[in-house]
Amino acid sequence: MCIDEALLSSYFDGELKEPYKSQTEEHLAHCAACRARYERLRTISEELRSDGPDEAELNRNRDVIFSRLEKKFFAEGGRKPGFWRKKVEFGLGSMITAAAGLVIVFIGGFVLFGTSPEQTSDIIPSYTIQADSQNVRFVSSDEPRGLDGYSLEEILSYLDSRGYNVDISIKGLQPVE
Amino acid sequence: MEIKSTDSDSFRLVYENCYSVLIRICYHVVYNMDIAEDLVQEAFERFYLKNMTFPSEDEAKYWLIKVVRNLAFNHLRRGRRETQMVEKVRLRASGGTNTRDAQVDLDENETRREVRKAVSELPENLRMVIILKEYGDLDYKAIGKILGISESNVKVRVHRARKKLEESLAGDEAYVY
Repeated sequence: MCIDEALLSSYFDGELKEPYKSQTEEHLAHCAACRARYERLRTISEELRSDGPDEAELNRNRDVIFSRLEKKFFAEGGRKPGFWRKKVEFGLGSMITAAAGLVIVFIGGFVLFGTSPEQTSDIIPSYTIQADSQNVRFVSSDEPRGLDGYSLEEILSYLDSRGYNVDISIKGLQPVE
Repeated sequence: MEIKSTDSDSFRLVYENCYSVLIRICYHVVYNMDIAEDLVQEAFERFYLKNMTFPSEDEAKYWLIKVVRNLAFNHLRRGRRETQMVEKVRLRASGGTNTRDAQVDLDENETRREVRKAVSELPENLRMVIILKEYGDLDYKAIGKILGISESNVKVRVHRARKKLEESLAGDEAYVY
């Protein structure tokens, strides 16, 4: 059986591991068709590599560009990347610790110092918070209602909402004369 | 060796070792020396301004290749129209004195033009893989790191790219399976 083309391509790049490498070599030694395919790969690679300017042409401005960069960044008085351009990285752990610390400080502030009207009036005299235990009282005067406090309709709709099936009959009523 | 991009010695070392591979890769995306040089210079500027530390020289190289690749493809995407206009102006400004280029154009044989056409017609993901392979002289592992894909994905793409190139270059050259 002949070699898979993808395998041949890897072999050509020298990326094939043993034992496939030596198996491929063995196969190529006696299979003319695969040898032709291998040659074809080489031709394509050579055609690609032969395209484009030679090394000298490619490197024509190598030194010019370097001195340009050197002048820009490393010359006396050249600009260093400022503080704000510096890349700062934090790990997740340290970020969580920092966040937890902030929360503790924030809550701790309230626990330790609290807030009192005196402090507020020191800072903003015209705006003192009056809401305090001394001057806040409950205005709602709802006494718990007895069963008499509800109308029949309210009782029925409540029972209905709880899923009770209510049957009502009226006994002992005397017809009005 | 750790590479700090703002350190003068590190910068020089990376520049010396990476310039030619960067310019070669960049040239084969944009097919224009002046533009390739501009883009490589920009990549090194970003390298410095990022103010990063790389664990090794290779890591710095991969980062730079990644940047150059993005710059080059962005340049292509910005539109050929714009490029052509710039080229027209450039040609007029130089007044046809660049006879060397004209000579090169004359010498440029059919194969070479076909190769460029075939490479340019590859979809972007295949194109970049084959450019990095043939002009960057990088192994699958490095290409995978640069493009953020797995090694086996690189293998498949290289093979597919070659297959497509083979098809479009088949033309006159007969080959036997």
